[in-house]
Formats: sequence, structure tokens, C-alpha cells
Amino acid sequence: MANAVTEAPRGAPPRGSAQKRRKRRNTLIGWSFILPNFVGFALFTLVPVIAAFALAFLEWDSYSAPEWVGLDNFAEMLEDENFRVALGNTLYYAAGHIPLTLMAALGLAIVLNGKLRGVGFFRTAAFFPYVTSLVAVAVVWRMLFNPTAGPVNQFLAAVGFSDLPTWLSSTDWAMPAVIVTSVWRDMGYYMVLYLAGLQSIPEEYYEAARMDGANAWHRFWHITLPSLRPTTFFVLVMLTIQSFKILDLIVVMTDGGPGRSTLVLAQLVYREGIVEGHFGYSSAIALVLFVIVLSVTVVQFRLNERRNR
Amino acid sequence: MTALRTAPEPTARPVGPPPATKPRERGSRFVRPVATYTALIVVAALVLVPFAWMVSSSLKRDNEVLTVPIQWIPEEFRWSNFVEIWDRIPLATYLGNSAFLALTITLLQLLTGSFAAYGFAKVKFPGRDALFVAYIATIAVPWQAYMVPQYIMMQNAGLTNTYWSIILLQAFGAFGVFLMRQYYTTIPDELCEAARMDGLTEYGIYWRIILPLSKPALASLALLTFVNTWNDYMGPFIYLTSNELWTVQLGIRSFVGQYDAEFAMIMTGAVVSVLPILVVFLLGQRYFIRGIATSGLKG
Amino acid sequence: MVTPNKHRGGGRPGRFRRALVALTAVALVTAGCGSGGEAAEESGPVTLTVSVWNLAATPEFQAVFDAFEKANPDVTVQPVDILAEDYPAKVTTMLAGGDTTDVITMKNVTDYSRYASRGQLADVTDLVKSKQDLKLAGLEAFDVEGKYFAMPYRNDYWVLYYNKKMFDAAGIAHPDKLTWDQYAEIAKKLTKGEGEQKVYGTYHHTWRSVVQAISAAQNDGDQITGDFEFFKDQYEMALDVQKAGATLDFGSAKQASYRTMFETEKTAMMPMGTWYVAGILKNKAEGKTAVDWGIAPMPQKPGASGVTTFGSPTAFAVNKNAKHTATAKKFVEFAAGLEGAKAITKVGVVPSLQSPEITQEYAALEGMPSDELAKTALAPDKTVLEMPVSEHTSDVDTILKEEHELIMVGEKSVEDGIASMRDRVKKVLD
Repeated sequence: MANAVTEAPRGAPPRGSAQKRRKRRNTLIGWSFILPNFVGFALFTLVPVIAAFALAFLEWDSYSAPEWVGLDNFAEMLEDENFRVALGNTLYYAAGHIPLTLMAALGLAIVLNGKLRGVGFFRTAAFFPYVTSLVAVAVVWRMLFNPTAGPVNQFLAAVGFSDLPTWLSSTDWAMPAVIVTSVWRDMGYYMVLYLAGLQSIPEEYYEAARMDGANAWHRFWHITLPSLRPTTFFVLVMLTIQSFKILDLIVVMTDGGPGRSTLVLAQLVYREGIVEGHFGYSSAIALVLFVIVLSVTVVQFRLNERRNR
Repeated sequence: MTALRTAPEPTARPVGPPPATKPRERGSRFVRPVATYTALIVVAALVLVPFAWMVSSSLKRDNEVLTVPIQWIPEEFRWSNFVEIWDRIPLATYLGNSAFLALTITLLQLLTGSFAAYGFAKVKFPGRDALFVAYIATIAVPWQAYMVPQYIMMQNAGLTNTYWSIILLQAFGAFGVFLMRQYYTTIPDELCEAARMDGLTEYGIYWRIILPLSKPALASLALLTFVNTWNDYMGPFIYLTSNELWTVQLGIRSFVGQYDAEFAMIMTGAVVSVLPILVVFLLGQRYFIRGIATSGLKG
Repeated sequence: MVTPNKHRGGGRPGRFRRALVALTAVALVTAGCGSGGEAAEESGPVTLTVSVWNLAATPEFQAVFDAFEKANPDVTVQPVDILAEDYPAKVTTMLAGGDTTDVITMKNVTDYSRYASRGQLADVTDLVKSKQDLKLAGLEAFDVEGKYFAMPYRNDYWVLYYNKKMFDAAGIAHPDKLTWDQYAEIAKKLTKGEGEQKVYGTYHHTWRSVVQAISAAQNDGDQITGDFEFFKDQYEMALDVQKAGATLDFGSAKQASYRTMFETEKTAMMPMGTWYVAGILKNKAEGKTAVDWGIAPMPQKPGASGVTTFGSPTAFAVNKNAKHTATAKKFVEFAAGLEGAKAITKVGVVPSLQSPEITQEYAALEGMPSDELAKTALAPDKTVLEMPVSEHTSDVDTILKEEHELIMVGEKSVEDGIASMRDRVKKVLD
């Protein structure tokens, strides 16, 4: 990263002590920027998170004194069928939700970035799924996915499909139905982030490209997409995190069913902790979830950095 | 991560003979917008269906809401629901509380988030990237996992059942820092360098150069933070016990009983609570217009 | 019945471990200390705090509070109103934080057993013993190895709601002590119409209890041992009714509201808990429904002698950290006793206390069906606890719910479903 602050003044190579002093100054300045947010963050988020991670190695019922159990909670996890099922489902959900939402959000943002008439209305409409009450979302999508009377299957039948899926009443099709609903719900949210990102691309790039005769596809591929990389990185990381943490939509739509076909990790964390009172085990699952997301994020970070070089 | 402005220039090479494309563009001048609008209207309809159901349900009796098959148009329009809800729950108080929390948290998040983001994006110091990863990483921990330890801390600090708990909890999240930092990386460092030459301090650069340039990002952060705090249910539910502190989301859920729920009232409440978001969104989205940010970069 | 949480032993703790445990303990344990203890008789005005769900929509709370305040003029009851949907989550969190609310309402027995085994509730065995002459339905569910930490004040059990008009129009006798086969047959007969006009013979809620708890109750089955063969007949009946289209299919039923089905006269019958009585009385009084309703005993298995159904109690408990332990105990005793029972009967809620006087008052409520059938329904011979309480209850409950769904949507045959219930539950019990 070509960072201006660290760059030595041209023509005057710094001596060791001066560099040290500058480094200290930068550290001070950097921290002074971060501190106001960091104090609140550290006290009310970081400390409880660390406490929760400590609990992963303890047995605690939320009332009595915690007891050290070492890696017992993790050993228990290896034998827990629910954990295996939930992990698989969570990965399945993420694999569907992340790319589809990313594409839908980007597509919406690009279409709605123009100077269309009524663009405000369409942007608002695209954002509405995110603010519509979850109960309404669940009821209407259940109706859309109804095996016999639902428009989804009626459409599929009309275009010639037979042997139609029963969607939310089927262990195979419940997760795809949930993914579709969640993409529909989240695309407007990430569209807002992309819209902001699109504003940072200087108009001159497009003018120059047009002058060179590049068509729309080329302009998208060679200007828009590369310029959006910091936004895409952000959206990708947030999407990954949110996908792995999915809970609310699943609870109202399927509650993990039918059977365990849509049971996800966050649901297990909630059930084992708040409901059952096995806070140690619940924290251990959360820690595993955290490590998975962290490793995915670090990979994304590395890739992003390499591309920028 | 560098600002990416160097990427596009070399790749935007001319493709195909320019004159050939001109007539086609003229021909599609009418077809294109029609196609675009048709597509947009179809998508908008699809996207608004559940919302339409929500509105329709808000005009029904409680026992007419969850019918099978769905009844789209109420037999009789009960506009009285929108009057009744103000009597049933102190809706004005709840709306006020929600507005207070959402505005305070959004403001704090914007201020501290964008401030910290400058430190992460434009000042280089040891440990910066590790700290940044720690910030992001905490977002990945499900709240359910640390809810109880957090509550115990708040209880010990005597902050439960006050707005402080919710504000302290949500105003300093990592989300805003991350969002703003990513946006700042798209602002060329040369701009900061030039300002430094002119004798501006880092704080001056943040306030005079960077902040005005990041209006679209600030707008999207404000929008998303506002919506998330406005719609948050679990946080206020756990921390706010006294009825006079409740937010509108808690008010809506107070129509859910042990074995049944008043669905029409729930939907009425949901419609009422969406209206402020609508206003905020319409105001905020105006900042997503090309040129607002880039105008500053031309110099 | 309830065994305290077993602690798993760790290895010999090293310095790091000890430090970690100590640190976490300091950070997390606030509740252990400062118990209210057996305070002497509180004097002077007392403000008693009671945790409740949905105060506005649950009138029995206010009814008990008013009665209690009237009987104890120096006590003011201050409800701590918590949303019904996530009541247990909030109570768990509050108690973990050392909350001092005096009385905690126990929404279900499973949660009760957790709070009790953690030692978060005060012992009220002496109260229960002193009230031994009273017949409290569901009291046995609160027995923790001979000790009691809560007293039930309300006990809901299941009856069969039916639409009198539909039965009369079809010329079918009202459902008096049906067998399940007769019930299924009548459900099919009463189903008519298509599409939006369709009226179903019956409505089965998607809760697993609709099939499982009733067959456990009527077959002396235990839903926690791992042997579930006794579910078989009931599942076959439920699937048969569903297949015939005489009830909503499971997927659609998931998003239907039972109140809508019954009050808009989309179903002729409906097995449901007595809690619905208060709701339907209210909606009838306000003119929100025109349904001509009746209640009958639940259908029985062939050859059954009396009426057997299932139910679940709700109770008040005293917080171990209560500020006013003595007054709190007084309240718990009052609510379970005759005066409390009378107060909640008035709002259409079935109290735990069973006496001819109460039954009479309940049957005499304005708008209550007063025929013989209703009287039999409201005096079941045997009410079995919906789900037995043990340390494994909620694990087993989750498994049974998951397998129930799979059977009802047709992903698994009854035999396969019951087999995997057995296999999975056995694993939990080991």
C-alpha cells in the first residue's frame, strides 16, 4: 500500500532515530483516531466476546461457578450429530446465499445508479424486502412455495416441468427455498453499499473509455468492476459473516425443519445456550463458527491484497 | 490496499470500429428504456408482494389474516385498526423512543466510525492491520453466544434497563469502521499528501478533505445503521424492561400472546413502523448520484 | 424427577486454567451471592415485583394481582412485563445477571426444572405441604426429588372444540365420547367445498402434542423412555385424515392460525387446549366471530373407560434473590389457593385448583356452552402431563418434533419415523 504518511520526504533519506520518532508519532495519531470507537467497542463487545470464548473451555449454567473442562466441549461436538448437520446446512446456505446475493445486489445497483426517471422509487422498492416484517415475509413466501396452489410451482408446471418439488415440506428443497427468500430479502441491503461504492468511480474513466469506443460490457468489466473492488471486498466479507450467522429468517420460515434439513449453527448456539443452559458447549460451537468465518475472511483479505499489488 | 484508480486506464482499450456502433445505439434509444422499465416494474412488483400482503392484513380482523389460501383483498377494509392501535399501546411513546435510539446510535456510529476508519486507512502504524482484523472478526461471533456475559457486565455497571445499555452496545460496532475504511481506500493518497504539503494536520485532512468526499458512504452507513437499530428487537427486548422505555418493535410484538397472536394489529404496527424508514431512505438515497463524490477528485 | 446438572470433571487444573476459571467466575458470577434468604415478616408497605408475559393480553395476571392487593392492602404488585414470544430467554438472562424480581412465573415445566436445578428458585416445599388438602392439578410436575420450588395456579388441558351449526346441518350427533376412528370418519363427512370455499372436517395444529402427547396419555406411554410404538395408531389416523383432505395438509397448517380456522368457520372440529376458551369468549362478546361453538371431551381409544386427556400447568415461583421473600411466598400461596383460583376463573382461565365450586363457576361463565357434553369435557377423569420432566426433556422434545415433521410431510413412513425417534432418543439417554 502506497501510504503517504510513512513515505519519507524525497531527497532526504531519514536516519534511524528520525524514523523511529515518526513511527511513534504515527502510532499516536493512528490511535487517537481509533480510540473513541475502540473504547466503546472494547468494553462492550470485545470483552464479552473474549469471555464467551473462555466459556468454550468451561462448563457453565449461567448461575453457578464455571468449571474447567478443557477440550471436552469440542470432543462432545465431534460426536454431536446436530452439530454435523447444522455445519453442513450452514455451509450449504452460505454457498448459495453469498454468490447469488452478491450478483443480485451488484446488478440492482448498476441498473439503479443511472439517471432513470423514478429511480428513487425503484431504489426504495428494492430496499423494502429488508424492512418488511419477517412474519409477512414468511407467510407470503410460504404461499409462493406452496406445492399445489403456489405460483412458483404453477409457473414451473406451465413451462413443462413435471414431478415438482414440494419446497418447504421437503428435506431436499427446503434449503433452496430459504436461500431464494434470503437473497430476495438481502439484495437491497447490499445494493445500498454498492450504490455508495459506485459514486467513487470518477466519471472521467467512463468518458475516456467511451471515447475509445468501449461498449457497455467492456466498461463494466474493465472500469466498474475493478474500481468497485474495495466495496466488493467489504460486501463479500459482510455477506460471509451474515450467511454463517443466519438465524432470524430460518426461525420464522422453517424453524430448522422439516426434520433438521434447515437447522443452522447459530440456531444451535441459541438452543444450547439460552434455551438449554449449556453455555460452555454453546460457546464452543460459536468459537468454531468464528474460526470458520475468520479463516474465510483471512483468505478473502489475502486475495484482495494480492490483486491490489 | 491501494486506491484502485490506476487499474482501469490501461485496460479500457478500444473495441471494434467505433462508427459501427453508432447507428445501433441510436436505434436502441427507445427500445432500451422500455425494456429497462418493464424489467424494473416486474422486479418491483415481485419485491413488493409481501409488503402488499402486510398492508392488506393491516386492514383485516385478527382472525382473517392467516387464511388458507391467502386472501389478498380484505372483505371489509378496517381502517379503524390504524386508530385502534394508538389506544391499545402507547405507540407515540414507542415511536419516539425508537427515533431517539436510532438517531443517537446512527450519529455516534457515523462520528466514531468514520474517525476510526481514517486511522485504519490513512495512517500507518504497527499493529494496525491485526487490530483491524480483530474488529471485523468480532462481527462474526453470533450475539447469542456472548449475550449473557454482556448482560452480566451491563448489570454490574448498573446500566440495564436504561438507554445507555443499547447505545453503548450498538454505537461502537465494527461495521461502520469497516465500511468507511473501505471507502477511504478508494480516495487517492495523493490527495492527503497534497494537503499535508499545504500544512494541514491529519485531523484537518480528515475533516476538510476526506469527510466531504465520503458523503455517499456516510449516507449508506447512516441509512443501514438507522434501519438496523430501528428494526432491532432482541437488543431492546433483553435490556429494556420498563414499559416506558420500549421501542416500537417491542410494541408490535406485544400483540403476540402465549398461544395466539393478534395478527392484524401486528401488521398495522409493522406498516406504521415502516413509514419513518421510508422517509429516511428517500432522503438518504439522494446522495447516491454520480458526481457527488468525484467532483472533489478532479483538482 | 429432576436431577441437578451433572458437572463433568476436568483434569488437574494448571495455573493458567485456574486463572482462567477464576477470571471468568469473577466476571460472570454475580447471582450466587446476596440471596434474599428467609427474611423476617416484612412490615410496612411492600412493592412486590412479579415477572409476567404480555400483561395486556393475558388478563388472568391482573385478576390475581387485584385479588391479592385487595386481600393485602399494604402490598402493591408491580408487574415486570415481558414479551411472551421470548419470555424464557429474557428470564434466563435476567436471572444470570442476579435480577431481584420477587416472583417469577414459570411458563412451562421444562424451564422450571432448569431454574430449579440451578438453584435459582427458593424452596416452597413448606407451602405445598401446608396446602396438602387442596387438589392442585399438575402439582406433581414440580416435584424435584421431594422438594418443590413453585406452585401451579393454572392448568390447561385439551378438549375438542366443535362447530354446532355444522354438525346440526349435516345431521350428525354432537361428538360425545368418540373413538378416534369415529372422529376421523366424521371429519371426512363434514369436509366439503373446494378452493377458497373449502370447509374442513377438523384442524390439526402442527404441534407434535396433537399426535404424540394424546397417544402417550391414552396408552400410558412415556415420551421419554425411547420406546414410541404407542404413537403408531394415532399417526395413522392423523395421516389418513390429512390424506383424505379432511384437515389442512401439514405444510399449509404451518401458516394457518387455529383461531382463524375455527372462528371463520373453516373447520368443524378442532382439538385444542382450554386456554382458547377465554379467547373465544372474548371474540364472541365483541362480535368478532359468529361461530356457534361447543366443547366435547377429546376422542378416546376404543374401549376406554373414562375421559383421558393431557395438559400442562403454569406456576409461580419465588426468586432466590427476591427482595421480599416472605411476601412473595404469600403471593404464590394465594394464587394457587381458592381465592386466586376464583379470580382467574372469572376471566375464563382454568385454575390448577380442582373443586366442585370452581368447576361450577367456570361452567356458569357468560357465553360458556352449558350442555352435558361441555360438562364432561371440563371434568376429565384423567389429565396426564403433556411431557414428563427430566434432565433430557428438551433434547427429547426437539428430536420428537423433528421426526414428527418428517412423518407428517410424508418424508418418512410411520415405522421409520418411530424407529429413528427411538434410535436418536436412546443416544441422548445414554
